[in-house]
Amino acid sequence: MERGLIFNIQRYAVHDGSGIRTVVFLQGCPLHCLWCSNPESQGAVKPVTWYKNGQAKTVGQWYTLDAVLAEIEKDEIFYQTSGGGITLSGGECLVQADFSAALLRAVKSLGIPTAIETTGALPITAINKVLPYTDEVLFDLKIMAQPLAKQVIGDNVAFVKASFEAALQASETTVIPRIPLIPGYTAQMDNLHQIIDYLHQCGVKKVHLLPFHQYGSQKYHDLNRAYALEKTPLLTSEAITQIHDLFTAENIDAVVYGLD
Amino acid sequence: MTTSTTTNDRPAFETTRTNTHLETMKANLFRQKRQISLERAKLYTQSYQQTIGEPTIIRRAKATAAILDHVAISIRPDERLVGNRTIRPRSGILSPEMDPYWIMSEIDTIDHRPQDQFEFTPEDKIYYQEVLLPYWSGHSMKDFINAQITPDVQQAQKDLVIKLNQTDKGQGHIIMDFEQILQHGLGYFKQQLTEKIAQQPMNDFFKAAKIVFEAVTRHFDRYADLAARLAQAETTPSYRQIELTEMAAMCRRLRTAKPTTFYEALQLLWLVSIAAQYESNASSLSLGRMDQYLYPFYQTSKAQGTSDEFIREILGDFYLKTNDVVLLRSAESAKCFAGFPTGYTVALGGYDKYGQYAVNPLSYEMLDLYEAIQLPQPNLSVRINAQIPRRFLNKTCETIRLGTGIPMLFNDEVCVPGFLSKGVTLDDARDYAVVGCVETTIPGKTYGLHDIALFNLLRIFELTLAALKDVPEVTYDLLRQTLLANIDHYVAIVTKGSDIVDLGHRTFAPTPFLSTLISDCLANGQDVTAGGARYNFSGIQGIGEPNLADALYAVNQLVFVNHEMTFKALVQQLDHNFAGSDGEALRQHLIHDFDKYGNDNAELDLECAKIFRHFALELDKYKNIRGGAFNAGAYTVSAHIPLGHDVGATPDGRKAHDQLADGGLSPMVGRDHLGPTAVLKSVSKIDNTLAVNGSLLNLKFSPDTLKGDAGIRKFADFLLAFTQLKIRHVQFNIQSKATLLDAQKHPENYAGLVVRVAGYSAFFVDLNKQIQDDIIARAEHRL
Repeated sequence: MERGLIFNIQRYAVHDGSGIRTVVFLQGCPLHCLWCSNPESQGAVKPVTWYKNGQAKTVGQWYTLDAVLAEIEKDEIFYQTSGGGITLSGGECLVQADFSAALLRAVKSLGIPTAIETTGALPITAINKVLPYTDEVLFDLKIMAQPLAKQVIGDNVAFVKASFEAALQASETTVIPRIPLIPGYTAQMDNLHQIIDYLHQCGVKKVHLLPFHQYGSQKYHDLNRAYALEKTPLLTSEAITQIHDLFTAENIDAVVYGLD
Repeated sequence: MTTSTTTNDRPAFETTRTNTHLETMKANLFRQKRQISLERAKLYTQSYQQTIGEPTIIRRAKATAAILDHVAISIRPDERLVGNRTIRPRSGILSPEMDPYWIMSEIDTIDHRPQDQFEFTPEDKIYYQEVLLPYWSGHSMKDFINAQITPDVQQAQKDLVIKLNQTDKGQGHIIMDFEQILQHGLGYFKQQLTEKIAQQPMNDFFKAAKIVFEAVTRHFDRYADLAARLAQAETTPSYRQIELTEMAAMCRRLRTAKPTTFYEALQLLWLVSIAAQYESNASSLSLGRMDQYLYPFYQTSKAQGTSDEFIREILGDFYLKTNDVVLLRSAESAKCFAGFPTGYTVALGGYDKYGQYAVNPLSYEMLDLYEAIQLPQPNLSVRINAQIPRRFLNKTCETIRLGTGIPMLFNDEVCVPGFLSKGVTLDDARDYAVVGCVETTIPGKTYGLHDIALFNLLRIFELTLAALKDVPEVTYDLLRQTLLANIDHYVAIVTKGSDIVDLGHRTFAPTPFLSTLISDCLANGQDVTAGGARYNFSGIQGIGEPNLADALYAVNQLVFVNHEMTFKALVQQLDHNFAGSDGEALRQHLIHDFDKYGNDNAELDLECAKIFRHFALELDKYKNIRGGAFNAGAYTVSAHIPLGHDVGATPDGRKAHDQLADGGLSPMVGRDHLGPTAVLKSVSKIDNTLAVNGSLLNLKFSPDTLKGDAGIRKFADFLLAFTQLKIRHVQFNIQSKATLLDAQKHPENYAGLVVRVAGYSAFFVDLNKQIQDDIIARAEHRL
């Protein structure tokens, strides 16, 4: 029996793919992005403990495929009217690639649209398992220069690029690159130019921009962890517009969302 | 002066003013404090003193005629339509013939009571105490009803299970046949009544109706005279003079003739509405499907070249006027129906009799105009069904996004079958409209006593727990069976109590003018109160379903499944209102560790659905004194607070006297945490088709989900799912800055408030204050 470790199932998600969606947040991530807004999901696939109002709570619960399907099917009628479906998020859903693939396959066989949010930071075998059952990939591109990516977030750019290109080649799958705009990191001009070069190389004409937010800050406190970006200010709307215009000037259609 | 003409060869009176004049008129409406006007009560009483010995219906008709003939009238600056119920805007009017007592008990508090205050001048207080009160004491409808109340009804009231409404005011919650009156005009009805009287000279209903219709004609004359006088008084030729001259001419025409233009149709509609207000002084003489019955006139005027601006100006005047009529309620009633909902409710769109979606340019105009004026009346609603055009659905969503709770949505896929199940024809069922707040009715054909009684299901559950407390070996089945038996017991009583009020109205408050405009009263010569209408319902509201669902589930899990404590021990804790630290620990356990209605737990939701179904079907076994059905409702409007006060602590973790779930079918505040799709799923488990009389769902939405075109698209898709889920009604509370501030202060009430950002998972209440402040600061600019 396939089982997956899930730390949240969020219904009525409207910023994670087309239509009204249910987002399944899977535990575990190989990266350690300093700005992560779901830090409870970082690290190995195992439950973690945090403290809410002085009480210890376990984050992460094992689900059988049937159990998570039952949750997903609850909003079937909303998927039908909106063209929505499910989105696997995380963490990094590819860490639990076998479970993710089985889940996506089961959902797709019900005629429900599927999507994943991924960083592609695993060997290509992982994404290849899920692509046949994935309609939409929301693919995060973060730091593109290899030594820096490894240093700052533990990323392997070669994995990322291979996964991204595999997704692009999957004929039934739409790929939308998304760039978290983190001041001092991903939003650095040289990094953005590297992303643009790479998108040109791949022939991609569309990108979503996710401006930095501080909504995860309380979670670091609850997890008893230091939060390096605690004092980092949000991007100004001028700065966001400037980045948006940078992409537009390069003939890449950029959509800013999540915040404004 | 010479009559000038505007462009397009339109008459000069159609010249429109600047955009600001509606704003000025709106401001004038709210400039003065609300006051009580005794004028109607005085005129009514003086007439009654002169008609001793005559049949009640004739006396009522003469009293109404006396009001129409003698009430002071005014045409306010800039008005295009005539007809003000009182000279001073937003005055409350009294009907001591219904109940002279409540106002006496509030005579010194009504100007500073917590809800809906009115000034009462010292002279009027004296007149009330020395003349009106003594005259009506012992002779009012209230006295009649009180004398008829049987001991079991009295006991059920004392048990706080049932509340009888409409014992202190006249016929409301009804929609007259505006289509007919606009199609034929007043003269046609007078003619019909004359013929009927010739055929049946002994029928007092026809005679009474004719007395009022003739008085309405004279009322038009009075306005015509006033307009002419005001026109003459304009010292220099002016547009106002032209307008007043036309208003005078229009009133002279409408005294008998049918309207031909949109302007005339609105004028007749409003004055008919005012006449019914004088006759009844009632809650909710609603307007029905305005976009449908006014559309032929709209088309005619447009074809003749009337400008959109002029149509907007007179329709805007009409909108303002619906806010001029406020309802004077007792303090108790005002608690339940706060903010004077007068019930000029309008239903836009929906199926026509051919089963097609009926929407037209006027439907859009009415939503646009709402956006411009944004006053609570007319209370717009949109009828949604599987065929709603996307364009109209989007327009509806954009209007809802304004965040004022208007329009409400009513689902044809529920309301139509609901009426069919009660013997309404398919044509009539498809023509339903909204009356009062959330009740539905068949316009022009129904006397529905939609708001006749409240039936507190949660209180019955509390009494059931108490009755079983000392029974050894209580099982869940026994609990459930006892609850159902108690519901049956009180259903028998509430139907009896409703019939007593029904009889009170028949005996004391026939309404011949209103009745003439309800089929088939004119055909069969009977007042609505005597059973003359085609459809004769009584609506009984089942109260507290969401709390009942939570309470039943918690008792079952805690006591009978988990065996955590005995039934008796639980009831004792409830009796002590969760006192002490053990009690509070139990309460927290009940709140946090057992699932709640609103979170899409089918087992829990369906158990409540079965209880509601039982209640609705039990009501169906009874017939009211007019031969009609008792229909179940599931709404509280704002009565969830006073009705909660009547109920002790309950196993859902609710403390004694705390509020119930708001609205009717909304989850208990703070107990749903999976967002709006889960709420809809829970509500859909309760068979909404059984709530023929009405139901109410308040849904909270965060503004960030409605942002931009994508937001509207997803919201519209959400509403299509709502339609398919066969939920009867929904209205939206868009969480503003104020709600978020409240969430910071009372996080326990906002457990379900999710921050929706891509790839991120958390609740608002889990964020630290600084981040919350940041979201609050952005909230106003989200849309």
